[in-house]
Amino acid sequence: MTKADRFNIALLGNPNSGKSSLFNFLTGLRQDVSNFPGVTVDKKSGRYTLHNGIEAHIIDFPGTYSVYPNSSEEKLVINILADADNPHRPDLVIYVADITQLERHLLFATQIVDMGYPMVFVLNMTDLVEKDGSSIYLNGMKQYLGVPIICISVRDEKNMEELESKIEDLVEKLDRLSASPLYQLSDIETFVAGRVQKYLGLENIYTAKIISHHYQWLEFLSQDQRKYISDIIARSGFNDLKLQVRETMQRYDSYSEVVKKTVISNKKTLKSRTDQIDEWITHRFIGPLIFFVVMLFVFQSIYSWATYPMDWIETGFATAGSKMNNFLPDVWWSDLIINGLMAGMGGVLVFVPQIAVLFFLLSILEESGYMSRVVFMFDSIMQKFGMNGRSMVSLISSGACAIPAIMATRTISNPKERLITILVSPLVSCSARLPVYAVLIAFAVPDIKIFGILNVQGLAFMGLYLLGILGALGSALVFKKILKSDSGSFLMIELPDYKPPIWKNVLLSVKAKVIAFIAGAGKIIVFISVILWFLASFGPGDALKNAEMEAIQKSEATGKSIEAQNNLIASYKIEASYIGHMGKWIEPAIAPLGFDWKIGIALLTSFAAREVFVGTMATIYSIGNDNDEKTIREKMAAEVRPGTDIKVYTTATSFSLLVFYVFAMQCMSTLAIVKRETNTWKWPIVQFLFMSVLAYFSSLMVYQLMG
Amino acid sequence: MPTLASLKPGESAFVTLLDEGSYTCKLLNLGILPKAKVTMVRKSPFGGAFYIKLERHQLAMRTEEAETIYIEQEL
Repeated sequence: MTKADRFNIALLGNPNSGKSSLFNFLTGLRQDVSNFPGVTVDKKSGRYTLHNGIEAHIIDFPGTYSVYPNSSEEKLVINILADADNPHRPDLVIYVADITQLERHLLFATQIVDMGYPMVFVLNMTDLVEKDGSSIYLNGMKQYLGVPIICISVRDEKNMEELESKIEDLVEKLDRLSASPLYQLSDIETFVAGRVQKYLGLENIYTAKIISHHYQWLEFLSQDQRKYISDIIARSGFNDLKLQVRETMQRYDSYSEVVKKTVISNKKTLKSRTDQIDEWITHRFIGPLIFFVVMLFVFQSIYSWATYPMDWIETGFATAGSKMNNFLPDVWWSDLIINGLMAGMGGVLVFVPQIAVLFFLLSILEESGYMSRVVFMFDSIMQKFGMNGRSMVSLISSGACAIPAIMATRTISNPKERLITILVSPLVSCSARLPVYAVLIAFAVPDIKIFGILNVQGLAFMGLYLLGILGALGSALVFKKILKSDSGSFLMIELPDYKPPIWKNVLLSVKAKVIAFIAGAGKIIVFISVILWFLASFGPGDALKNAEMEAIQKSEATGKSIEAQNNLIASYKIEASYIGHMGKWIEPAIAPLGFDWKIGIALLTSFAAREVFVGTMATIYSIGNDNDEKTIREKMAAEVRPGTDIKVYTTATSFSLLVFYVFAMQCMSTLAIVKRETNTWKWPIVQFLFMSVLAYFSSLMVYQLMG
Repeated sequence: MPTLASLKPGESAFVTLLDEGSYTCKLLNLGILPKAKVTMVRKSPFGGAFYIKLERHQLAMRTEEAETIYIEQEL
């Protein structure tokens, strides 16, 4: 894809400028979210048809404060803006600024103007200014910037037609009104940038200055070019930080008077609404309390709202499967379609309701401005564990499901803090562990009450959750020590004014997350499901056929019903299959944990998803597709070790198995999403290994101490 | 010279100088630059971070970040 075949419009601006809302307005539903090549930075792009029929390509760039970047997102923006040959290079910039934060939001705008980009300067959130009775005067600003300016309010969809016609006008004649730079380069800057400009053959000297600042990491520079720039800088005494301070101050000085004449406030507000809200929301005691209530609500909503659609999806797939079973011929590929592919797709779709509900609520919290307060309040605690205030949200969401929790780590800007959050989140007990806990706690813990009210089994549940949290925090401490960080950690964030969320943004963000999950992790999940299906449906040589014969003979000898016979066949078959062999093969390794090969099979199939444990147990104990926990429990309770009358599911084995399920990484969907979010197989593999080791040794300890 | 971290909740001062280092770039981008008026609003619930108010916007920063911002009571 070369630059020439399309017209690029870039949406640029500071974070919280309302840029993305404008993007959503301009592109409507004709947008897609992908990654910028090579990095996990969301690229939101959409089509926009101009009235002369030209299809423009609008890209919503990550929020940026200035040409001096602090995050990988911002670096990406500078990489594109400073590179004359980049395929994403804009032909026109729509710069969005929050009019209530004009002074700060102008900084980056003046820099883009100096880079020579044709620009429309959009002042957003004029509704807020007008509401408190202030007036807006644009003449001075127009003269200063030398570009068309328009006031809009995306929230009220005010002045949007005018914006669109301004864009049209600019596309017709792409140039700036005044060509004089807004920033006067110092002597050293003129010298260095002048040389670099000539050497690289650039049109714009300010762009050459930016390249000189960032030559070490700008991707489009060749080794030779880097060497040349570094030599010039070494000779000239070009000091990055001093020059950045100089430039920033000069720019602020040059426009601070203009800003004062642009928005004229009529009343002196003593305390804004945001100040009043924050007295409670960020209060020393009440603040954290409010947070836990909010999170409790989020957590409950995921459980209660997502359960219904999840049930529909599960029953839907089960019904479709049995319908197709009747209609497809009785051959291996029918089984592949029903129990391999369809089960895999069901396994992907079943997570969609949880992802949708979580991101619906999280994006409301994000849009309203609450999330940055959470970061402020919990930063210091999470810091001790090598994480960030935002990690708090992911860890809590993991209590429902690790997948949306890991997807939510995108907002953590420090790579090390984000990685630790991704690695430890799955240790917090998710909802898929619940059915396993429910079956096993019944063996391990008596159903009695202490002090007349506290149910011991309930306490055991709580203990398992606490164990998961401790595991997560403990592992985080270890990773904090081991992992290296190449970028410094900082808090420094804006606490934006509170605003009601824009619903369109909320819904579009939910849609984007759901699509990202299905497209990114879905393929891997379906693939692994098919492999697991293969392992459970085939065995070496004629093993499966023989097992079936044996089961039929046995059930005929004892005169069982057809259903009981089918269940027995299934049980014999899984034992004879590859996965049955694998279960027996790993038995020596898991015997010290108190597990037999049947549990081994369940551990292996649980890799599809933890709740599969219950279903596998049902198959092994030939109870058929009846996933009734009570039946399974009775079967398991009666199970004895071959040749003895020692029970398999003793308290020690049950506890050992419980602890194993708390710590083990038995969720291919999580691994698939970790692969997607970290862009490498390295981290899902590391995660799988450390969680397996943790699970193995914890179970070993439990069994050996109790057994 | 006192730094922003030494302010008590409710107190205001003016920025005089930034200690040049890895935080400088970020601070400048967030509007903390010489002559800006800063107000210490409150400490975070578990310590370690501050809620800072500038002319028109609010920021959160850690103690070590605030310690790189030198201040004076009056300009």
